[in-house]
Amino acid sequence: MAEAPDEALMAAYRGGDAGAFDTLYARHRTRLFRFVLRSIKARAVAEELYQEIWMRVIEARTTWTPKARFTTWLYTIAHNHLVDHWRKRGLTLVALEGDELPSASPDPADHAQARESLARFAAALEALPALQREAFLLYEEGGLSVAEIGAATGSNAETAKSRLRYAMAKLKAAVNDD
Amino acid sequence: MTDERDPKVSQRYRDLPGEEPSRALDQTILAAAHRSVDKPHAPLVVPAGRHRWYFSLGAAAILVLAVAVTLQLERQQPDAELTVPPPPAPAPAPQPQKVQPAPQAAPAAKAEPQLQRSPTFAPNPGARQPAAPAPAPMTDAVAPRADEESAARRNEEARLAAEKARVQAEASPSELRKERAAGDVAASRAAPSPRASNSAVTAQYAAPTPERELERIAELRQQGRDEEADKALAEFRKRYPDYRIAEVMRQKVERKPAAAR
Repeated sequence: MAEAPDEALMAAYRGGDAGAFDTLYARHRTRLFRFVLRSIKARAVAEELYQEIWMRVIEARTTWTPKARFTTWLYTIAHNHLVDHWRKRGLTLVALEGDELPSASPDPADHAQARESLARFAAALEALPALQREAFLLYEEGGLSVAEIGAATGSNAETAKSRLRYAMAKLKAAVNDD
Repeated sequence: MTDERDPKVSQRYRDLPGEEPSRALDQTILAAAHRSVDKPHAPLVVPAGRHRWYFSLGAAAILVLAVAVTLQLERQQPDAELTVPPPPAPAPAPQPQKVQPAPQAAPAAKAEPQLQRSPTFAPNPGARQPAAPAPAPMTDAVAPRADEESAARRNEEARLAAEKARVQAEASPSELRKERAAGDVAASRAAPSPRASNSAVTAQYAAPTPERELERIAELRQQGRDEEADKALAEFRKRYPDYRIAEVMRQKVERKPAAAR
């Protein structure tokens, strides 16, 4: 069951296997949460949206059909909830200031440099236009292809590709500044 | 997509602090998922705890009620058939009319066929419904009498019999009007006096006609119901003061002296 594809797990859950949902949830919880959290500034709001997304999945249990990858469907739901949120509050990104960064180097100088590097990257990510940032997060966190990003965001593949390219270029610049 | 792929960007992104949903949030979502599976078909009223047996009891009560109502209906159906008066009930109705003229001085042989005819010519159309027997025997019954009557009377009787047969066969008001018209045409043939012809023509547009009233009075007279005939004749003369009754008809409608009868 743990190695079963997402679609098989969702089908099993639709058939009444609650354990299949547990596996599915464990597989996607971290990535989906980061996707939401890095799109929304406030953690409390991100948690609320995150819960609403999963509730939507649960509600659609009996009507779900494997028309596309489960991941695409899941992030489509997430995108729609984010759009609703943005319409109400405007575009924001979670603040990364104050976060404890992982330290790979025992040298305090390297540690400080790593913090600065990550801070610049986080700032660059936050500075991205919302749609470009969303395309990037869907690519990195959701593992969606360009076509799937287009499907999840209600646009075509060319538009998704363009947004992702712009986002990558800006983030690459931030990394190369190191 | 290969153009957009950059391992350094991806690596840097992975270096960002990992965020995870809280354990409480996980529990909330998983509990909701399990609840959804536990009640695949949401009932209209969610049974709770030990009150679940109410639903079984309710279903059993509905079943018993349905069976009881069905049995009750089955029992009532035969009773309804018994209490409903059978269709032959109207048939014996003419019998008292047959008995009625018996004490009269008139010969029984004459009375019976005339009595059978009487309901047909009742003034009220509704009174025609207790129909007499089939028309064919009526014609046979009238035939022996024709030998004893005058030619005019024989024609009259034949006309009455024909009309009675038509009335018995009538099924709708429209057919009734047609039959009346046909009967009046026959009457005009039987009594070719100018006044009778005129009345036959007008009878197509107005009923009852004076001729029919007279025929009904004649019927009453023949049945020996002289009192009713006298009343009807008086009523007729009130309604049609200027109507001149033909001699043949006058003999039939007016009371005859006791010696003549």
